[in-house]
Amino acid sequence: MSVIQVPVGPQHPALKEPERFILHVEGESVVKVDVKIGYAHRGIEKIFERKMYIPGVFVAERICGICSAAHAVAYSLVVEKVAEVEPPERAKAIRTIAFELNRIQSHLLWLGILAHELGFDTLFMLTWRDRELVLSLIERLFGNRVTYGAVVPGGVRRDISDAAAKETVKVCEKIIERAREYLDLCLSEKTIVMRTENIGILKPHQSIALCAVGPVARGSAVRFDVREDEPYDALELLDFQMVVEDGCDTLSRTLVRVKETEVSAQIVKELAKKLPAGPIKIRLPMKLPEGEAVSRVEAPRGELFYYAVSKGGDKPYRMKVRTPTLANIPALCEMLKGCHIADVPVILASIDPCFACMDRVEVVDSSGRRRDLEEMLRRRGV
Amino acid sequence: MWWIPGALAFFIVFAFFIEWVDRRFVARLQDRYGPIYTGTGGVLQPWADFIKLLSKEDITPAASDKVLFRLAPLVLPIFPIVGLCLTPILGKPIIGFDGDLIVAFFLMSVYTIMIFIAGYGSGNSFGIVGGTRAALQMLGYEVPFALAMIGPAILAGTLSISEIAYSQSNIWYAIPLALGFAVFMVCSLAEVDVVPFDIPHAKQEIVAGWETEYSGRKLALIHLAENLEMVFISALATALFLGGGYGPFSPPIPPAVWFIIKTLIVAIVISNLRAIFARFKIITLVEWSWKYLLPLAIVQLLVLELFFELGVIPWP
Repeated sequence: MSVIQVPVGPQHPALKEPERFILHVEGESVVKVDVKIGYAHRGIEKIFERKMYIPGVFVAERICGICSAAHAVAYSLVVEKVAEVEPPERAKAIRTIAFELNRIQSHLLWLGILAHELGFDTLFMLTWRDRELVLSLIERLFGNRVTYGAVVPGGVRRDISDAAAKETVKVCEKIIERAREYLDLCLSEKTIVMRTENIGILKPHQSIALCAVGPVARGSAVRFDVREDEPYDALELLDFQMVVEDGCDTLSRTLVRVKETEVSAQIVKELAKKLPAGPIKIRLPMKLPEGEAVSRVEAPRGELFYYAVSKGGDKPYRMKVRTPTLANIPALCEMLKGCHIADVPVILASIDPCFACMDRVEVVDSSGRRRDLEEMLRRRGV
Repeated sequence: MWWIPGALAFFIVFAFFIEWVDRRFVARLQDRYGPIYTGTGGVLQPWADFIKLLSKEDITPAASDKVLFRLAPLVLPIFPIVGLCLTPILGKPIIGFDGDLIVAFFLMSVYTIMIFIAGYGSGNSFGIVGGTRAALQMLGYEVPFALAMIGPAILAGTLSISEIAYSQSNIWYAIPLALGFAVFMVCSLAEVDVVPFDIPHAKQEIVAGWETEYSGRKLALIHLAENLEMVFISALATALFLGGGYGPFSPPIPPAVWFIIKTLIVAIVISNLRAIFARFKIITLVEWSWKYLLPLAIVQLLVLELFFELGVIPWP
């Protein structure tokens, strides 16, 4: 049978953001995938170089609307490492609360999107209703729903009052209850299991070879979570349970995220119950010493990586951001191989893509030759 | 015969009412409100949508087959309306004759074929895929659907829908034919294209499927046809399995009212089913209909035969 090319994207109903996948299709099944990235390149890394260290965090937050707290924390950590300062304990705890609440709302959002891709709109509506609880709580704690503006290098900008902490505990209990319900639903609802089980297979050795991160790696039985490998902020003090599933398919990636929702809610609950006393912020010097640093955090979508170079002065010389979706693209291409066309939207959703966050580079070739991502990545040694 | 235009108008009013019931019911299941602003409780919202669509720009794509593209939306609502004329929804059918069950089944098949033609004529790749999916889906559910409808015909000893409805004064056929009724309901979900089987217009995969290129007046007519099809399938289920116009008590309430109430309940059951599932894949649907639905429908007929032989049910 001849192989035909089916383009998915840059505009496609299954994609919320512009990215191009060219599926080489034989009959009904996909044999090869070419990816073209770079449609939503925003030049963010260049903007960092023109911003002072503290205002820079607000740029970082705007890289991704859904994992905004992860970007803010990663940026703050890298700046603090360059400045060689340590934020106070209370600030660390509040940061972790922001971070994990962020993960809860991101995973609930994702579960809704998966349900929507499966045509299960009721689950979509219900998860987004519960997400609203978390967003309202975030607004109560930090003043904003999407970009919190709470985390800054050196600490946080807003304290959590006792009343707010009590409310946080209450909301977390509700979320834990709901997460268990959803877990039960994902395992018992046959139509969901049918559409996700053995779909988008990524074997553990492939996951390691292709450097998959986050729930994609953990759904393939790879024990990889920055929160455990290299704990940051208040996570060092907590007894953290990593969630790993060994199904290697879309269903196990779903289960990882649903279980992580519960784990995160437990973390927030624990932290809100015993917030350490003390100041919430230390002053960062205006000019940072020369040096470079790397920070890694576990964003909802996987390992988020920041690299900063300071040449002295009040602005970074270079700020490099690697978002988890970019790391998961090669794994995605592997998952798509051999799948049915009807499963493509589900598999695409299963890596929780955030294409607009990941575009850091755009290849413009004046000779007009199209280069695929694999070649590009190999060239740049990413 | 003076009441026929009224009856036709009633079908359309009822179709819009059922759309409202469906939207409200599903919205409540999903913890939303659904339409609430137009009319009392939003009951006029489907009308407002219809009128608004009528006034919208109507685009005919250059790549479409002009004749098919224009004809399909005009023809689509006719089939369910004719089908409704065969059912005794208002106490007696507008046109009833022996063998109209076969005509009703034919109308449902033609409706699906018209969907295929509508998708094919639009000249859009999503439209063609959607149309093909509709036709492929029909390959799966049509045979068990027909077998499920034969059950009541055998019990009543007639192929007339209204005669079948009238002969259920003692027992609703859904009781001896429970299995057949279940198969009928599953297949009717596929016939009206709602969620586990809304494969022909799976919006996450193929935009709006066969409807992708339709806009304005054509889309309004297509939506009307879909609502009428919902009414038609619900009315057929009521006539064949749920005792037609017979209610728990009859004197003060005319049979038409009972029939309409039951039709509404069937529509609500379909709405409920569409809210609690994820979408099937086309392959799974066809595979399952031949693997499970068809044998179940045949088993139902065998059970019926057994009842006759054992004398549980007298021969009609």
